[in-house]
Amino acid sequence: MTDFLLLLPLLIVGAGAISLMLLAAFENVEKEIAGYGGMAVFLLAFVVQLAGLTAGDTYVFADIFNSMMVSNTFTQVVGLIITACGFFTCMSSTTYFRQNHFCKLEYYALTAFAACGMLLLTMAQELITAFIALEILSLAIYVLVGLHRTNVRATEALLKYLMLGAFAGGFYAMGGALIYGGANSTHFAVIGGVIAAGGFFDQPLLAVGSLLILIALLFKVAAFPFHAWVVDVYDGAALPVTGFMATALKAAVFAFFANFLMLDHGLQASWVEYLFWIAVFTMFAGNLIAIGQNSLKRMLAASGIVHSGYLLVALVAFTSRDFSDSVLLYYLAAYAVATLGMFCALSYLSGEGEKRQNFDDFKGLAKVRPYSAAAITVFLLSMAGLPPTVGFMGKLYIIINAIHAEQTMLAALAIVSSVVSMWYYLRLVITMYFYEAQDDFITESSPFAPLCTLILVVCVFAFALLPLGV
Amino acid sequence: MFEHVLSVMIFLPLAAGVLLLLLPVSRNGVRVIGLALSVIVLVCGLKVYVDFSGGGGLEFVEKKTWIDALGIHYHVGVDGISLFVLMAAAVLFPMVFMLFTAKSRAYYCNMLIALGAMVGAVVAADLVLFYVFWEIMLLPIFFMIGLWGGEKRIAATIKITIYTISGSLLMLAALVYLAVSYQAQTGVWSFEIAKMAVLDLHGGFALLAFVGMMAAFAIKIPLFPFHTWLPDAYSEAPTSTTFILSAIMAKIGVYGVIRLVVPVFEAEMARYAVIFAYLGVIGLMYCGIAAIGQRDFKRMLAYSSASHMGIIALGVFCMNVQALTGTLFQIVAHATSTGILFLFAGILEERGNSRQIEDFGGVAYSAPIFATFFAVAMLASCGLPGTSGFIGEFLIILGAVKYNMLVGILAAATLVIGVCYMLWMFQRVFFEKPTGKTAAFKDLSAYETLVFLPVIVLILVMGIYPQPFIAKIEPAAQKHIIQMITTGEPALAESTAVELPYITITD
Repeated sequence: MTDFLLLLPLLIVGAGAISLMLLAAFENVEKEIAGYGGMAVFLLAFVVQLAGLTAGDTYVFADIFNSMMVSNTFTQVVGLIITACGFFTCMSSTTYFRQNHFCKLEYYALTAFAACGMLLLTMAQELITAFIALEILSLAIYVLVGLHRTNVRATEALLKYLMLGAFAGGFYAMGGALIYGGANSTHFAVIGGVIAAGGFFDQPLLAVGSLLILIALLFKVAAFPFHAWVVDVYDGAALPVTGFMATALKAAVFAFFANFLMLDHGLQASWVEYLFWIAVFTMFAGNLIAIGQNSLKRMLAASGIVHSGYLLVALVAFTSRDFSDSVLLYYLAAYAVATLGMFCALSYLSGEGEKRQNFDDFKGLAKVRPYSAAAITVFLLSMAGLPPTVGFMGKLYIIINAIHAEQTMLAALAIVSSVVSMWYYLRLVITMYFYEAQDDFITESSPFAPLCTLILVVCVFAFALLPLGV
Repeated sequence: MFEHVLSVMIFLPLAAGVLLLLLPVSRNGVRVIGLALSVIVLVCGLKVYVDFSGGGGLEFVEKKTWIDALGIHYHVGVDGISLFVLMAAAVLFPMVFMLFTAKSRAYYCNMLIALGAMVGAVVAADLVLFYVFWEIMLLPIFFMIGLWGGEKRIAATIKITIYTISGSLLMLAALVYLAVSYQAQTGVWSFEIAKMAVLDLHGGFALLAFVGMMAAFAIKIPLFPFHTWLPDAYSEAPTSTTFILSAIMAKIGVYGVIRLVVPVFEAEMARYAVIFAYLGVIGLMYCGIAAIGQRDFKRMLAYSSASHMGIIALGVFCMNVQALTGTLFQIVAHATSTGILFLFAGILEERGNSRQIEDFGGVAYSAPIFATFFAVAMLASCGLPGTSGFIGEFLIILGAVKYNMLVGILAAATLVIGVCYMLWMFQRVFFEKPTGKTAAFKDLSAYETLVFLPVIVLILVMGIYPQPFIAKIEPAAQKHIIQMITTGEPALAESTAVELPYITITD
């Protein structure tokens, strides 16, 4: 029974995805109906996940899944983040697709399938399960990225993401095979035991295998040196899809990343010196790319790289599983709230065919639509990490965690990076507020995306008051 | 209500500022509400001032758990150091609402948010809380300069924002470093400012933390060579924003040094304070000389303000009772003299429609009351005996001489520069032949005279009979210096108190 209850959110999203797919078989269904269906599925899954939060205990699915999956507070909170992201994405999508006419009924089904893979990925404690989960979510996301088939940039984005993603999948499979060769098992617990017994770098199969898996994961979270795809892919995809990728996908992969690295403290400790530099280069590479962008979406994509860097800082600076996990979760939630909010606001403000894309297109927004401009400002401040927003608290915890783990240098570099990032966040605020409007910013009215933006603005401030759940 | 007086002073204006931004209230409505709220804050401030017992510790304390796992609290309180900065903010803010008709209602909302945040930063007793208010403080300034400033407002906004945020983020790293060191040394998480004094800090990272923290405050004060944002920001900002920047925000920078740097980094202060003392003197000279050359009087006042901030900073780095008392006294004196001068400059600009000194002349003939008030504030700013500026600067120089003879002599000698540019400007603007712009210059109205009069009286009272003020300041200053020398251990403080090189000014 416990098995069932803990799996319920996953089952709901899975069943919802299949029903939405079946719904798409009927020709005369309104697209908005599918949107409401998607919202309902995610909302239900979120509520069930929230109601089933278990404090502290780790439940291993020993009977039905042969210990290949676990459920604990960490996976459950990530589940909350993923389902909430799915809900808000569906919400902003309905508004987005009033102004952009390439929606297919399968859109919401694919979103649910992707979320399904993400939920599975966070619970996976075994390499094959994780691989299946990764592929479920990747396939759904590939289709979502290329949804606008007649658009050249969407097709380019799809091609880039598909080719590189397939390579990453290949790396993962190869790495898994090597690890299996070295440890005779794909279970994290067993692999951890073998590493602890024989040392890490003395067992080349394990070392090379985990390196390959690490490469695949770094690709998925867009960390240096595998970050180059992000800007084009995010730019080509539809705004709500980009928002979903930037938040839910990142949360899921980072959760698995943490699970994989911490499978035994040995793995994290072995890689920490290299991860240090990866984190540093990720932050600064993202900043350098972001500074040069004129397109808002591309800037947000690049800033996503920087945030991956901060999340890597939380992985590098490991104090205790509980503390580092809460810091990671808090930052994931903080990042998700602000980024989703940003994409929600853009998905209605960008207008028909995403005609407003560049910084300059948003000149004087505050004069015409002051509330929308204020909401965007709040999200930008949160991303920049200024108080009193949730982004500030997230960054504060990341820095506390890093200095506590005696990674003071890394904390200092993270600070320098956020100084640099101020420029491109504030640039948009300056553009919106300090120039005269040249556009009327008329958008087709639909309450969902603005409502969703409002909820997320409230979340930005409300979450900042939440204590860190250690 | 009065056990939550500080929270009221913080959150009443903050919440009202945000709400009024969202609600459709007319500009005059917002102005009246803003005035009412700032007067309530003033009344609360006076209540705190009167009830303040001066025992040395924090009073009016409120402490509530915020993030238990890390020992972060909502913790506010007032002591002798913060009292005067708090009072400066409480007294000066209502003038903004009384005197200035803003272009937009949002301007008043921003002012209210600034008021709440500044009060919050001054009374915060927890590092995280302090940082939160410290950063919120910048947001209204950002919008006020950027939206309602002069021609080059965008460049000025970017400059002040990038400068101060870089400093603040370095400070954030330093704050966290302090708290983590505290956890490492005592085993308990705490972000309480007062507890940081017991830390035993050494090594490269401690030095880095010291530098990071000093960077934030040096930029905010601003200390030479971090002052380059100041002339642009001060001259491009709307007059009342400049007034707030110069009269209060800069003081919070000084306050930050006294509160967060001096008691925590004793070793670093003992070694490096002399560098900062020299930077203060260099700033005093450099900005003073730069002020002489200015043709734009707002820009000249900006340099003058920076120059006098140099001597206030010097008072902090001398680390003795006279200098610190002088600094705290001068915080109020500078706020009431140079701050008011910015308001007068605003009136000049508005009525003469220019900021160039050469466009003016003979204002004194058509506006005698204005000229008299201007002269009093100006002389106080130069430090003429009989005005508030003299007492503060005299005490600081006294302390500086004791700390380092050369620094003291340099500081005393350089004050003359202040007299040069001020008197020369006064001569050109208020005397000489009236120009076309100034022939029909309107004098202060009865209402304006009434608003300015209390401040002018305060300048004179503080200069002629400073005793009541010094009596409030000195115990706090003494306590602070003792605490610094003995790293916060009361028993040691008792024994070293007698050997301290101070004279009691109250006797």
